[in-house]
Amino acid sequence: MTKKRRNEQEVTTIVEPIALEETTSVSSLRSNLEEIKNYDGVVGYILRNSTSASIDLRDPGKMIDYAILSSSAIDANQELSELFGLGNAKSVVIEGKNVKMLSLTIDESKVSVFMEKNADSAKILKKLYAH
Amino acid sequence: MDNEVYSFALKNTLDEIQNICPDIKNSFIFKEDGEIIAGDENTPEKTIVKVIDSFDAILEKADAIGGVDSITLESSEGRVNVSCMNDLYLVTVTSKNADKNYVNTVTHVLIPTVLKLLERITPAPLKNTMPEPRIKPESATITENERFTEESEEELAIEEPKPLLRPEVEAQSFLPEPPVNQFIVENIGGLLVPTDTVRIDNETLSQWQELYEDRRIEEVEIETFGGQTTQCKVKPIKDSKHEGKGIIQMPEKIQTILEIKKGELVRVKPIIQ
Repeated sequence: MTKKRRNEQEVTTIVEPIALEETTSVSSLRSNLEEIKNYDGVVGYILRNSTSASIDLRDPGKMIDYAILSSSAIDANQELSELFGLGNAKSVVIEGKNVKMLSLTIDESKVSVFMEKNADSAKILKKLYAH
Repeated sequence: MDNEVYSFALKNTLDEIQNICPDIKNSFIFKEDGEIIAGDENTPEKTIVKVIDSFDAILEKADAIGGVDSITLESSEGRVNVSCMNDLYLVTVTSKNADKNYVNTVTHVLIPTVLKLLERITPAPLKNTMPEPRIKPESATITENERFTEESEEELAIEEPKPLLRPEVEAQSFLPEPPVNQFIVENIGGLLVPTDTVRIDNETLSQWQELYEDRRIEEVEIETFGGQTTQCKVKPIKDSKHEGKGIIQMPEKIQTILEIKKGELVRVKPIIQ
């Protein structure tokens, strides 16, 4: 059974290797985010790449502000890493008075997780990198 | 003490912090409106401006999360940290081996302590010499601020109620030049509010009164940066929450005469009766 499934994958890989890899990566990331959403204090997430975006926020009214904040944070990290010669940009944590945001780029996907101030962002980061 | 001294004290603090934490590569302090307050000697002003520009969009949208307390940007070779302290933003750039807790402890103890100390020594050095309103273009901020700082320094030099005159000279009733203070216009309205009276900090009025002990100060001359001037009555701000913020509460009628509106800067000097 296992052997057969592996064969199927191999066949598909030959047909469209990059597309499958990306799809697998994004779907794995999405399933991780669904899991993270249930962590204590997590209020939502934004996942986007060049072709699609998934947004799941407890307060959809803040969607646009959160999306701009997320995008600005990732861009700032990139710019400042270059400016100060800090190598590859990894992650950003913005602590607000009410909400904390963790943003990072995984492969081609930009992820932001929004959580309450006391939520464990390190645990979420670890989970995201483990996708 | 003027803005230059204030910045000098903070700059020295940043340099000392770097001495005790060599892992801090760069550090500087800026205000939300983009004004650079102090920077260490390793960081060129151009770099600071770029960083402030990068944070601009974040700070603009940070209301959605209740304003920024701190920002931590992690990279493979180091970290950029921004902490909000007393309405100022402290930026530190550290190498990847830096002890995050040690750096945070040092910066979060030293900077607020120095800020508090400066606040006590000179209650409103940054408030009376505010930079131009936020509506001005970002790119012009530094040049404009420099201009304002220079102007403010000149004015502050006049402002200081120094005992310039010896007692025998004072007896000849020479009056010192009226000090000029800068304020940000704030609206004041209501049924019982006189339309010919502005309100400013009681502290400023007291300083003026100290300077002209035997004279009454009931009126001020207000000048806009566009060159409009008017004279009107002055009284202390009633509501203590508006004190010490470098504002002048001004009825709409006077704002119309001066062709200005809320948020703009004006120069105010006392009229000695």
